[in-house]
Amino acid sequence: MEEEQYLLQHPRDRNHSHEQEQSVSEEEWSEVSSDCSSYYSDTDSSVPEWESSIDESGQLLFIDCHPSVTQTHVDTESSSNVKPPLVKNQTRKSTRSKFLRLIRRRESKRRSKRVMKHESSQENKVTFHDSGDGEIKVVTVRVNEEGVKFKLGRRVKLVETMLGIIVGTFTDGNRVMVSGFTPDSEHDKSIKIGDWLKSVNNIDVNVHNLNTILNQLSGHEAVDLTLQRVTGVEVTKQPPSNELSNQSNFVKSLTGSTNEELLNLLLDQPVGILYLDTEILSENGPEFQGVLYCYPTPLAKNTLCLCRGVFITISHLIDEITKTKPLVTTVQIDKRLAHVVYNIIDSKILFLMLPDNRLTAKEIVLVNDEIVRMLVFIYESIDKCFTEQNTSELDHFFSRFFARILSSGLWSKAEQSIVLSNFKNKANTQAPYQFEELLPMAHHIILPNEAQMQIDDALTELEASDYREWNEDPLDCQRLFTILGSALYHSGYLLASHLIHGDLVDVNCYCRQQGLFHLSRTEPLRSMIHWRECFPYSCNRIEDVIVPSDSRRYLLIVGAGKDLLVVVMEAGGCTEPAEDNLPPDAFYVEEAQATLAHLKELGISELAERWTCSNPGTQVTVPQAPTNVKKKTDFFFNKSNSPISTPVNMQNKKQEVTSILKRRSSDQGPLTQSGSLFSIPDDSELVSEDSISQGGYSERSEVSDEPVLGRRALREKNRNNFDGSDDDDSDIDDYRDGSQISMSSYDLSELRQSLLNDTGDIQPMQLTAGKELVLYHYVHLDSTEGIFLSPPECTVNSNTLDSVLSNFRESCQHIHKLFENTLRFKNLTPQDMANSVMNKSLIAIKEYGVLFETDYLDDNARKTCKHTFWVIGRLFHMPHPREIYVCYKDSVPQNLVEIAFKLGISMIVQ
Amino acid sequence: MSVQLMCLTSGGGLPIFTRCKGNTENLPFSLIGSLNGVHMFSKSQRMELLSTVTNDYTVVWKELYDSLIFIGIASACTTEALTQVIECAGSAMVMVVGMDEIIAQRNIERLKRELRVCSPVIDRLLDCLDFGDANTNQSTISISGMVKTILTPENHLIKIVLDTFTECIDSMYSCVLIHGKLAVATDSWWTLHPTEIKLLSLLASAEGSSTTSKDTPVFLPFKSPKAAFRFVTCSLLPDVQVCCLCGPEQQLEEIENSAAYCFKSTMEILGSAVQCHPRNFPATIQLDAGILGVLLINVECRKYMMSKNPQPKRIVNGSHRLDILRTFYYQAVLDVLLSLREDVESTVVKETYWCSEYHKCYALKQHGNVLCVLYNANVPTMVMRSLTRATLKVFMAEKQFCW
Repeated sequence: MEEEQYLLQHPRDRNHSHEQEQSVSEEEWSEVSSDCSSYYSDTDSSVPEWESSIDESGQLLFIDCHPSVTQTHVDTESSSNVKPPLVKNQTRKSTRSKFLRLIRRRESKRRSKRVMKHESSQENKVTFHDSGDGEIKVVTVRVNEEGVKFKLGRRVKLVETMLGIIVGTFTDGNRVMVSGFTPDSEHDKSIKIGDWLKSVNNIDVNVHNLNTILNQLSGHEAVDLTLQRVTGVEVTKQPPSNELSNQSNFVKSLTGSTNEELLNLLLDQPVGILYLDTEILSENGPEFQGVLYCYPTPLAKNTLCLCRGVFITISHLIDEITKTKPLVTTVQIDKRLAHVVYNIIDSKILFLMLPDNRLTAKEIVLVNDEIVRMLVFIYESIDKCFTEQNTSELDHFFSRFFARILSSGLWSKAEQSIVLSNFKNKANTQAPYQFEELLPMAHHIILPNEAQMQIDDALTELEASDYREWNEDPLDCQRLFTILGSALYHSGYLLASHLIHGDLVDVNCYCRQQGLFHLSRTEPLRSMIHWRECFPYSCNRIEDVIVPSDSRRYLLIVGAGKDLLVVVMEAGGCTEPAEDNLPPDAFYVEEAQATLAHLKELGISELAERWTCSNPGTQVTVPQAPTNVKKKTDFFFNKSNSPISTPVNMQNKKQEVTSILKRRSSDQGPLTQSGSLFSIPDDSELVSEDSISQGGYSERSEVSDEPVLGRRALREKNRNNFDGSDDDDSDIDDYRDGSQISMSSYDLSELRQSLLNDTGDIQPMQLTAGKELVLYHYVHLDSTEGIFLSPPECTVNSNTLDSVLSNFRESCQHIHKLFENTLRFKNLTPQDMANSVMNKSLIAIKEYGVLFETDYLDDNARKTCKHTFWVIGRLFHMPHPREIYVCYKDSVPQNLVEIAFKLGISMIVQ
Repeated sequence: MSVQLMCLTSGGGLPIFTRCKGNTENLPFSLIGSLNGVHMFSKSQRMELLSTVTNDYTVVWKELYDSLIFIGIASACTTEALTQVIECAGSAMVMVVGMDEIIAQRNIERLKRELRVCSPVIDRLLDCLDFGDANTNQSTISISGMVKTILTPENHLIKIVLDTFTECIDSMYSCVLIHGKLAVATDSWWTLHPTEIKLLSLLASAEGSSTTSKDTPVFLPFKSPKAAFRFVTCSLLPDVQVCCLCGPEQQLEEIENSAAYCFKSTMEILGSAVQCHPRNFPATIQLDAGILGVLLINVECRKYMMSKNPQPKRIVNGSHRLDILRTFYYQAVLDVLLSLREDVESTVVKETYWCSEYHKCYALKQHGNVLCVLYNANVPTMVMRSLTRATLKVFMAEKQFCW
């Protein structure tokens, strides 16, 4: 561990470490009691916790991860010191009033119900669905007597030494959760991480009495543990991993040390980026005249920089001879092939060099385009990008960029931190081929219609920012921002986008290259807030669009869990004029966070998780040697995390349902008043409201987050209950018409329930003909819309599949390149057509197929058994260019037009 | 639509020759000098410049034998194809003047003069490049790195006579060319390097058929780059040549006599074999009506047969067909189907195809043979596979081709 250095760190984030540690310790109890709603967890500060991270230019990147179990679990010995609920109320009150002051400080009258909404979202966000509806089992565990005798001080807990089990708590802060096992323990295999430890020798335990009970039992040789399984989904969502969770690595990477060593390693590699001005070059100028930016530094050791004369001359010569601009030059440095890409911008040229074994020439062109697009998106133009004040940010970005390219290929296999000791070896190996990840498109996952509608609804509401309904007083101030569009991602998959296509591509490039998708895919994010000025395509690069000259646009990204909400906002124009270095506005940040929380509450995250983890899903399969049918099924059952596995306890459920019904009627008062609740900061009312609903909160939270999964009977039961309360409907309507936010959690939970249940049966359509599932992969590109469809990443560990996909991607690159000829020719004017030197045989190709033959790599016994598969690409012109690439087993002949049709249908009907 | 090939000495950057094809003019020396200069400069930085591509053009720098710099600029062709042609051109130079001369470069003017012989060969090599432009001269269309053959039904008979002739002249290496296309060759001939076989065929046909026989000293760039052989060609009929490599003992006259003597009785057979041109395979083989053209390749021997299938109704312009097939070969077949990685790679390509608005192409690899077929656009995509398979079977069934 010591020799490792971690790269994914932001220069401005280094000061976080300290702050985060602090907040963790402060939160020890709040973690337990008030769960993971991040924006309130810094209970003692009057400003949002991220405010201190804003830098002088107004930018913000705030990342707060879920602490791993080691940090969350309550030290049982000190657990008696947990403050009583009363204290909690006080803090909450203080937070709220401070928050209120914050809003008032902005002199905006938009206060409304959103605090209410926060509250509900906060309380409802229980991370573990500990509804107690899992199977109950009794396990006998031997007590480790020696461990008890030689108690190793306070740090090692009694339960660990005695039973070999590491415990944590559920979010209610009371019940004991199995969160891991001590390394040397021989624990019973039926005890699973995430189980609820209900009782020991039939004595019910909670975090407070666990130690006492164990102490009493220290004489026994064995004890009976009663455990109950909690619902599976959430356990995997927030892995209650042992001490070795990657969160700790990530925190380290945030605090990380300097990259000196990496820089030296990069200098040995044929990599580099160089931006030069060719006009100011003179014969006897200083040595590095005209070099505006270069990485890795120093200039005198950078091959690209030393050889810049070659590339400048080539770009001039080629232009003169062929009247076309050079794209890529291939060179050999120390027996390694490398490619240099040209970006000629008037008299300035940007060069990017990467080794061939990591990226082929075709890939480098795509990567280059993406980098350039990203830089233009955040700095307005390449010229404005490579200026003095951006150098440190660029250095940091490119060090991460090169390190990732050299050490890991596909994003899904990218490493969060780069181990420098092994760096050189990795940089010399052949990277897998890449295709869809390099294209300027977002990976779109289409959820069932119902869910899609809910997302669109929520995003639209956020974008509309129509707060009149919430305020009794008319708004007499101008808005700060207009929202140009927003997009919702889950684990890096696009769920919905309300952005103009060009902007979506920009945002997608940015999030991908900055590693934000990777972050949301791999890290248990508690909260992430990112804010910076941006120059989206629609307002910067379209010529005939006139944008207000004084307006500025900002990118706001909020993340929670695996969800990421991207919002592009505009200041100026019809809103308040923009100022320099504008920091994020707490109001908008919270609006975005609330939208995200709302969607999570609706079950969108869970649904998306289910769809993206349907490993390998119903559309695609994994290549298997023919006779292994039985093995195959086993294989999938083990790997796939099927969320619909745990039986639901009917009895429990019913009770909870009635409890919300009760709550709803009793809560109506405060809820309807809430508009005025905060215009008059009446502390006493706040306290009373809090204390009244204290009991209600826990109920509410349990209900709304209940994993009501696939039980039709139950659903009907609930329906009946609801039918019984028909007369309440008018009330619901009353406060539904304002915003999503004002809907009661009752409605949300029902929506969630129906969303998750009704879509349970919906499966993506099988695309290939024939009974057997023969499709291994597909990619459907729509460059006009800026999205591509493809099955979610399959985590099944299969060498055969990896090899198949690598071949697939290599072929796709080639096919894509050929299709570009067709598209290019179609766009030529008749005059250009006559003068074009294009190969006339290549101008109308619409379908291209390659048949591969390969060995099964996973099964040694079957290595001799050959396996053939097709990779086919097809280009469609109408109504706009689309490309589809499929990879399937060679058995039933497939018709690409049919597959494309089915895919097209799947975008409309679910 | 154009290609320029320049050759300079790598030490001094002195131009040795420049060849052009297509609508282009010779570059001014200043540009050639600069193109050479960037290569030289990058060498001083321990970086070797290989190629640059633009949307339409490819520029390749290639240093051969540590003494020659080739710079090729071509439109609409792949880097691989251009590099292959350059390497072939380098071998052609070695073949004519020998490796010693190339490396020593004692007298550039003399070298230039001596190399004039290989200019037509290099021009023919440039014909291998694929511009995808319908104006190409069809008789010269060829594929780089491989020798063009003709499949006559009399091949096996000619082979017997050729073996006798080879014995007579006390050699091992000989072959019969019909219209510059290799009909049959002795087994030893196939042990020569594919580039050598290709270059010798080009050299024989480049001389023109006006001469009845010719005796040229040649160096074999791979087999014997420093010691010359004699390459003797004798015309048996107009457009039919017998070629052989032999040592210094035999007189040209003796060889001519042996040829006349041995082939005396086979003149009729040769006459009917010539009828195969330009179809390149016998009319007795009837191909499916949807087939517009075929390209049959033997991967191991690096030889190919290219033909357009006579059509009752002409759908694709006939002269364009071979061009499409060649483009298909360079773009889709060369990289994937012809790779010799097969032994090491666990994954190999077996078949490939593409469909255009106007035509379809299908390639299939079986037992070291690759068959590329150009189909009419209205042939269903699914049928192409079986049709190609059947066509390959037809060709392989004919034993008299000596394939």
